[in-house]
Amino acid sequence: MSEVQRRKYSQEEKNSIFDGEFMPHIDSMYNFAYRLTFDEDDAKDLVQDTYLKAYRFINSFEQGTNAKAWLFRILKNSFINEYRRKSKQPAKVDYQEVETYYNSDDVDYQSTSDMRAESLKDMLGDEISNALNSLVVDFRTVIILCDLEGFTYEEMSKILDIPIGTVRSRLHRARNLLKEKLQGYAKHMGYKTDEEEE
Amino acid sequence: MDMNEESSEARKLKCGDTSKCFELLESILDGEMDNSKKVLTEKLAKCQPCFEHFHLEQAIRDLLKNKCTKHALPAELADSIRKQIQEIK
Ligand SMILES: [Zn+2]
Repeated sequence: MSEVQRRKYSQEEKNSIFDGEFMPHIDSMYNFAYRLTFDEDDAKDLVQDTYLKAYRFINSFEQGTNAKAWLFRILKNSFINEYRRKSKQPAKVDYQEVETYYNSDDVDYQSTSDMRAESLKDMLGDEISNALNSLVVDFRTVIILCDLEGFTYEEMSKILDIPIGTVRSRLHRARNLLKEKLQGYAKHMGYKTDEEEE
Repeated sequence: MDMNEESSEARKLKCGDTSKCFELLESILDGEMDNSKKVLTEKLAKCQPCFEHFHLEQAIRDLLKNKCTKHALPAELADSIRKQIQEIK
């Protein structure tokens, strides 16, 4: 926890913060944990650990500020420190290489996809879910935070400890990779793409 | 923000600066722009690639939002957390 210790809450205040500001986010926290670990037991442990840490460090949380972002940051750090090694990643990747390559803030916003919005209309939950799950964890994470949980770039920058420019570029790349996966599914389902029409 | 009704007749077929336009559109979709509605309406009315990019990006966001947040919370998790907190109090 990098936050400065502000003051000590009374037991009553602690309970009120925990029940009123922390617990309401448990569904989102579990969904995030599950999409990071791909395992229900690991996800449960991760959420439980996060809440116990949150309670232990409750004095560094300022009442009335963004509890959800604060909790997500703890969960993400716990995942990196304790769970990443044993989590069931779909593919082995050279993490360092991914980091170095993809952390550049320069993004070319050219269209990389010929996919059409209509081809997504009949897409099932499993397909989008599988496409999301197939992304490496850093890309998966920004999409979860932005599109599933509605965090702003600034909140994401704090949760992930990266500059806003990096949030933006990582998100853009993540979505492009997602589009490639979805395009594969769409082709499979028989939708035409520009590429095929030419 | 459904712009499907807009006529496509007046739209350019090539975008003047895809890179800038798409970055802007994505910021708007992510809720990072104030007063975005006017900019958006103008852009989508004028440029076919921007129009298509916007709708594709929007469709992907909708799909993620609607299909990927439904992993049911295990029933006993919240109680188990509360119980453990009671113990360390
Ligand atoms: Zn354009």
